[in-house]
Amino acid sequence: MNDRKQQPATDEGARDQIHGRVARTSIYALTGGVLLFVFAVLVRDEFHFRGQESAPPEASGPLSFTPPPMSKIPDGPAGTSIRHGMAIFENTGTEAKPFVGNQLACRSCHLDAGRKADSAPMWAAWVSYPQYRAKNKKMNTMEDRLNGCFSYSMNAQGSPSGGPPPKGDPIYADLEAYFHWLASNAPTGAKLKGAGFLKLKLPQSGYDRDRGRAVYAQHCASCHGDDGQGRTDINGRQVFPPLWGPRSYNWGAGMAQLNNAAGFIKANMPLGAGNTLTDQQAWDAAAWIDSQERPKDPRQKGTVAENVVAFHSGEKTFYGKTVDGHLLGSGTEVPVQASRR
Amino acid sequence: MTTDRESVDEAFEPYEPKRRVPLPVYWVAIALALWGALTLLRDSSADRTGAKQRIAEATTLERRQTATGSALFAERCATCHQADGTGVDGAIPPLAGSPFVGASPGVIVQILLHGIEGPISVNGSDFDGHMPAFGSVLDDDQLARLATSVRGTWGPGGSISPGFVATERARTAQRTSPWHGGDEIATTLDRTIGVQPAYLPAPRSPDDLTAQSIASIGKAGGWSCASCHGSHGEGRDGVPRLAGLSPDYIARQLLAFTDGSRPNDIMRPVAQQLTAADRVALGRLFASLATPSSSHPALEGDVARGAELALQGDDRRNLPSCFSCHGPSGFGVSPNIPSIAAQRPSYTAGRLAALARLTSRQPGSIMPAIAGRLSDADRRAVADYLATLPPSPATSSKDAR
Ligand code: HEC
Ligand code: HEC
Ligand code: HEC
Ligand code: HEC
Ligand code: HEC
Repeated sequence: MNDRKQQPATDEGARDQIHGRVARTSIYALTGGVLLFVFAVLVRDEFHFRGQESAPPEASGPLSFTPPPMSKIPDGPAGTSIRHGMAIFENTGTEAKPFVGNQLACRSCHLDAGRKADSAPMWAAWVSYPQYRAKNKKMNTMEDRLNGCFSYSMNAQGSPSGGPPPKGDPIYADLEAYFHWLASNAPTGAKLKGAGFLKLKLPQSGYDRDRGRAVYAQHCASCHGDDGQGRTDINGRQVFPPLWGPRSYNWGAGMAQLNNAAGFIKANMPLGAGNTLTDQQAWDAAAWIDSQERPKDPRQKGTVAENVVAFHSGEKTFYGKTVDGHLLGSGTEVPVQASRR
Repeated sequence: MTTDRESVDEAFEPYEPKRRVPLPVYWVAIALALWGALTLLRDSSADRTGAKQRIAEATTLERRQTATGSALFAERCATCHQADGTGVDGAIPPLAGSPFVGASPGVIVQILLHGIEGPISVNGSDFDGHMPAFGSVLDDDQLARLATSVRGTWGPGGSISPGFVATERARTAQRTSPWHGGDEIATTLDRTIGVQPAYLPAPRSPDDLTAQSIASIGKAGGWSCASCHGSHGEGRDGVPRLAGLSPDYIARQLLAFTDGSRPNDIMRPVAQQLTAADRVALGRLFASLATPSSSHPALEGDVARGAELALQGDDRRNLPSCFSCHGPSGFGVSPNIPSIAAQRPSYTAGRLAALARLTSRQPGSIMPAIAGRLSDADRRAVADYLATLPPSPATSSKDAR
């Protein structure tokens, strides 16, 4: 920029001109340099941090909510009840032993101890009850809802007591204390992001159990077993839950409906790799699971066909269909207690 | 010519400044200068935060060493016996009301030191499981605090001193296997426990001499397994512990080294020497070794963060807890999920990094996707935490049963 020699810098005007140009050049250089730097940083961050971005669960409602961390459970009697509710939720077969007739726990379907979005998390459930339900055509309190979970998802008919916890049992109060705490500061009445299960549209080509068999073998069998019976650890503890058969949920359960199962699978399975299957694969896997026998619907009075009319009309389910010559809904033998070692 | 050139040069010189340095060159220069300044700044601040972090770690470590008995229980026992001591129906016995917790203090200390396996009857229910040995991962102080807390919460109370634990440790120092069920405890340690179901020793799998010789001497002039993995399969820096891994998993990994589906230059030549029968026999041999843990945190990882990842996961990063797949104590779930407890931290962290690199090549495979979501600090944290766990129990007897 020392242009003295070359420029016939003899009068003031020319010098000013030179100074002006130098200033302009420096400004251009500086601005360009800074821009380039910012751009480079942005590019680097984009590549550097892309891999670390967690895939956020699909939004399904307007308000997002995060439940408080476990470490924030208060002390005192309230805390004791909350902790016991959490223990029931995670270790249902022990803490509510008289009312559990299979090898599942609440956490098997409501992941992360009922915290995970898109697996019908309990913080979202808490703020949406009481609620009208078509399943029993009346206003349901949370206790009614939980009674249903024990009856169907936990197959209470096969439990030592033969039914769900009676009205007013402290199990309900403790579970509700836990949910209430999970929903601390959640807005009531509002639809929360991640509530319920994902609503998955049925793809063009419907669902197919034979395609589902292949999806299952490739993506699910390593954990849930070729026979769908899950796996236990060295102490005989169920780590991967059974998906069908006598130790799984019964035909009255919400999970026995294809739309619920497909939505759950899409967002949550394979565990740790949710939202990697296509919608089609999720529906097909659901079809494979649903077209296997499981404990009978406890509401069944007459034949399976009559029960289809009474309770399953309009549902997407294999209940009452005949697959490979077997009428699904007939139920499994009840060796549940024997198999619980 | 010379003059010519000089004249050319002279003629040329005045024009040179006219060809101004192009703007982009300035841009790059300034960008680089800024970059350099930023990097310098960052490095020094990283140094400072690094130091802060190390201090924080040292304090956590200190805190862990002095953690209360109930904190130790929550971290070490609750995954199995549950926070409220109820156990798991059909699999893990309760502590609440247990005659073993109620017995003389030597009983619980011995169970903690060596672990226990085989039939046991607690509060009218029978169990037949494997409790790991904590003798190699907790010191006398920690064991004393833990035992005092358990007996205070569910038993007769009273205080157990580190000296008492040391005496008990010395008394059974020769023992190399876990206690054989409630029966052995009741008959040798405290008869007030009452009658316990009999322990039927599993028929020993026939000593496989070939496997033993490959492990300790090597095959046809090749390396012995012991030369790298240690004479009891305990592993060493960067070389994994094999003792207590599931037999199927070991055999399958040996095959994977052979056919290259698990590429590794060190193991490949060793594995290629083995026949299918060798692989199965070696799997059974290492699975049956009840070697104490000699792993320790070694990567300056944040152990508390590691515990959080292992026990609870991290929703924000879409990470389920490690134990939701690797089992409630990291002992694995046969046949597909390996044990990760008491593993060498350098190996664990290295393997996680290697698995993360597979993400793009094997989309949809589970562990690579999870490893890919762990930052480097998280890999070190969880590897260091896993090194503090008791080793997974040997599995020979269980297989036979
Ligand atoms: C087999 C899987 C399964 C198990 C096990 C299970 N649930 Fe559910 N749960 C579901 C499904 C599916 C739905 C929603 C479908 C429906 O409306 O029927 C649901 C819904 C709920 C809801 C209402 C959620 C909402 O957003 O409205 C609550 C509360 C609930 N479950 C609690 C429990 C409790 C408590 C347990 C343990 C005692 C349990 N569940 C066990 C599958 C399960
Ligand atoms: C990496 C192991 C793993 C894989 C692979 C996996 N799951 Fe699961 N699955 C689990 C675990 C663990 C749970 C229970 C969650 C808990 O207890 O934390 C579960 C729960 C379920 C449930 C609800 C509980 C029940 O018993 O019905 C269904 C349905 C299910 N999985 C279906 C599938 C399907 C379909 C696939 C394949 C697309 C699959 N899973 C792949 C580990 C796995
Ligand atoms: C991997 C799961 C696991 C962990 C972790 C574990 N235990 Fe156990 N524990 C068991 C099993 C299984 C048995 C029964 C063993 C048998 O069948 O012989 C048992 C038995 C016991 C017993 C004797 C039986 C009884 O119920 O009183 C005591 C006492 C005990 N454990 C205390 C502890 C303490 C204290 C810790 C924490 C340092 C702990 N355990 C950690 C699985 C575990
Ligand atoms: C020269 C040293 C060396 C020798 C000899 C050796 N190993 Fe290894 N082994 C390694 C290293 C290093 C690894 C870790 C590879 C990696 O990082 O993936 C390993 C890994 C393994 C694994 C995988 C463990 C896991 O947790 O996934 C198995 C199984 C194994 N070795 C078995 C054996 C057997 C059996 C022998 C004897 C026949 C043997 N090794 C001999 C160095 C050795
Ligand atoms: C969704 C199930 C799942 C979860 C969650 C999971 N893992 Fe794994 N992990 C696996 C499977 C399956 C394998 C076996 C991979 C193989 O054999 O290729 C594995 C293998 C590993 C290995 C290699 C073991 C060896 O000896 O070579 C390590 C280390 C490991 N996992 C650590 C972790 C850690 C740490 C976490 C928690 C941050 C974790 N895993 C969470 C399923 C899981």
